[in-house]
Amino acid sequence: MDLQQFLPLSAERFNVWIGVLCTLAIYSLLYRENPIYRFFEHLYIGLAAGYSLGPLGVDVLYRFWITPVWFQGYWLWAFLVPFGMYLYFIYSERYGWVSRIVIGALVGASAGLFFQEFASRYVVQLHSTLSRPLWLSSANPTNPEISWFSVLFSVLMNWVFILILVSVLTYFTFSYQQKGAVKGVATLGRWFLMIGLGAIFGNTVMARMALLIGRVYYLLSDWLMIRI
Amino acid sequence: MWWQIQNPESEGRILVWAIVLGAFILVLGLIPVLHALPPRGRRAIIVVVTFFAGLFFATEFFTPVGPDGKNFLTDYIQPAQQMIQVISALALGLGTYGLIRLHLRNVVQRRPQWGYSVVLLLSFLVMAGFSIANTLSEQQLVEKTDFLERGFALLFDFTLVQLDAAMFSLIAFYIFSAAYRAFRIRSVEAGILMFTAMIVMIGIVPLGAYLSYQVLGLSPAPTPKDADWITVLVHNLALPKIADWVLIYLNAPVQRAIEFGVGIGGLAMAIRLWLSLERGVT
Amino acid sequence: MQTRPPTFWERMLAIDRRILYLLLFVDIVAFLLLPIRLRAAISPPVQKFYDEIEKLQPGDLVMISSNWSASTIAENQPQLEAVIRHLMRKKVRFTIISIEAQARDLSHRLAMRLTPEGDYEYGRDWAHFGFVPSLAIAIKGMVNNLPDTVQRDVRGNAVGTLPLLKGITSLRQYKMVIDVTPSGTLPIWISYAPKETVILYCPTSVMAAEAYTFLDSGQIKGMITGAKGSQEYEQLLGIVGLGTPFANAISFSHVLIILFIFLGNLALFMSRRQNRQEG
Repeated sequence: MDLQQFLPLSAERFNVWIGVLCTLAIYSLLYRENPIYRFFEHLYIGLAAGYSLGPLGVDVLYRFWITPVWFQGYWLWAFLVPFGMYLYFIYSERYGWVSRIVIGALVGASAGLFFQEFASRYVVQLHSTLSRPLWLSSANPTNPEISWFSVLFSVLMNWVFILILVSVLTYFTFSYQQKGAVKGVATLGRWFLMIGLGAIFGNTVMARMALLIGRVYYLLSDWLMIRI
Repeated sequence: MWWQIQNPESEGRILVWAIVLGAFILVLGLIPVLHALPPRGRRAIIVVVTFFAGLFFATEFFTPVGPDGKNFLTDYIQPAQQMIQVISALALGLGTYGLIRLHLRNVVQRRPQWGYSVVLLLSFLVMAGFSIANTLSEQQLVEKTDFLERGFALLFDFTLVQLDAAMFSLIAFYIFSAAYRAFRIRSVEAGILMFTAMIVMIGIVPLGAYLSYQVLGLSPAPTPKDADWITVLVHNLALPKIADWVLIYLNAPVQRAIEFGVGIGGLAMAIRLWLSLERGVT
Repeated sequence: MQTRPPTFWERMLAIDRRILYLLLFVDIVAFLLLPIRLRAAISPPVQKFYDEIEKLQPGDLVMISSNWSASTIAENQPQLEAVIRHLMRKKVRFTIISIEAQARDLSHRLAMRLTPEGDYEYGRDWAHFGFVPSLAIAIKGMVNNLPDTVQRDVRGNAVGTLPLLKGITSLRQYKMVIDVTPSGTLPIWISYAPKETVILYCPTSVMAAEAYTFLDSGQIKGMITGAKGSQEYEQLLGIVGLGTPFANAISFSHVLIILFIFLGNLALFMSRRQNRQEG
């Protein structure tokens, strides 16, 4: 590695060193709480909050409010932002309740939209569940391209699917006391639930490791200029 | 048309400004008037606004559409969309407003560690300036100078992005430490969870494929279509195949059961919120 | 009363967490630097993802919903890079939209960096619709009237004037939506996008397990899971991107974690056994 290329003597290298300084400052927390970490933590929050004003102000407010009012003349939109400003009265002890008018509008809109979500998201899954072939005759065993074992396996897996689904739903049903056979099914559901949670845990570990590996890759590749 | 001012950028400019100013005065001036209402009256306003906001979208969805795929409300989706985007942007800005308010108070009242609040406020101001200027320059509304380009790149690409990535990568260390110190297999459930997690963690990464195909010598080729059950079984004993089988056949129904539960609960909650039956919201 | 020194297993249980952090860091550095390159087994969701994009024809229009910020850059950036390269290889046109503020600039800058590789020109072959805070209503608006909903792109051009979107009035005219996201935006695309639009999913690994139910029901046609999914996808494309070195290091970090979970449980078991024996 050429020392001249490594040191922050050019604009590009200076930028990389800034990035490395930020990364190592955050990682200093792993040793112990310290003022350097606190400084960069507050710097991060300030930058993140400040950055958001660009897209919010230009991509949204300029595009959907300033342009229609000031450049296209649709004056009715002028009342929208003052109405939205009611939200900021949430900090007022006296007039805080007016923010709930705007919150109510957003909540009402979300609630009204949910019917379409229910139909498109959950009903389709219900249909998919109920249309799984549970008998060999409904699983087209006469197709010569598919071996009978594959068809048998797919029918068996459909039964397993239904069993797992029903047992997990039973576990989550609290409308009545679970006892006897229902309690047994619910216990089975809890075990199957652990399978799902185990899959989520395994994937979560992978996700977090990937984030760290990305940072280490940056330190090795961009900063130390090691070819990986 | 009465809802559009002609030539708003030239002759109509003063009228536009007057209307905007008037809108602010009128709408914000309405607050003391609304405040004069009794509590039941205030609640009624919130309930009515909530109900009609939801009624529009519910009616639009449930009303049959014509041959053109539209009903009488479909064309109003676009202005409704515009309204919600602007109000959502203002709602997102509320978080920023609260943050700045808190830290300004720290500085003004010289609370402990107020110096860090100064750092936060300064970085906020600088970044806000560069971000707004950069976004405007992309739209060719301001000139994109070299200073703006380099400054934004330094603040965004080489500071904010690096800090954000580093902050979230800390979780990996904590997960590792927690896995060693706290993950105790003391019950059947914990055992099932851990066993599944291990199969998934090794099976879905390249190491699983290496162990199965290079070390154990299993075949990576797809199962022949006319294979007997022993051949099918042997072909599917590889760790990646087992991990895929766990995810597709065991994990999927569990997630669907959770989805159904969430869906039914979500529908109930949506109706309760729409009709303002939920306490504490209105 | 004479206190005995801690046993080996008790010392193992009380190990300073900073040593654990260092071990993990060294493991990752080692397996990034070591020239070990393991080939991935292509999982069915990634194969389906690849196959769906292979079905596209030159000139088809695809919507990329890029909602990731720098917090998940290591997982989502390799995905988006590989997807854009594949779309360019197929000569498919695309537009990008973001519902996260940071994602707007990250995806815009990434696309500006990559598109010259495929001789893609902004406005003719690709465009960026900018940031919208509310996705559900934006999708409904785009289904009904895309130019009036989006209005302008990030460069201030009226979307109706872009050559890319000539004659495009609705999201129905898009062949596909690809959602690259660390958050729960997939159900929103599933709920409000047109039924005929194919949806592909590029989540971080955290969100992947929950999406298998959508794969099963056919609501999504393919999925790339995080960095390891990117490696599989890069393998199918015959390129080496960021996913390839990341996935190798992920493999051995998993081995370390599994080893230490067993070690922790063993230490607890042995420590309790020793305490019982001492009475």
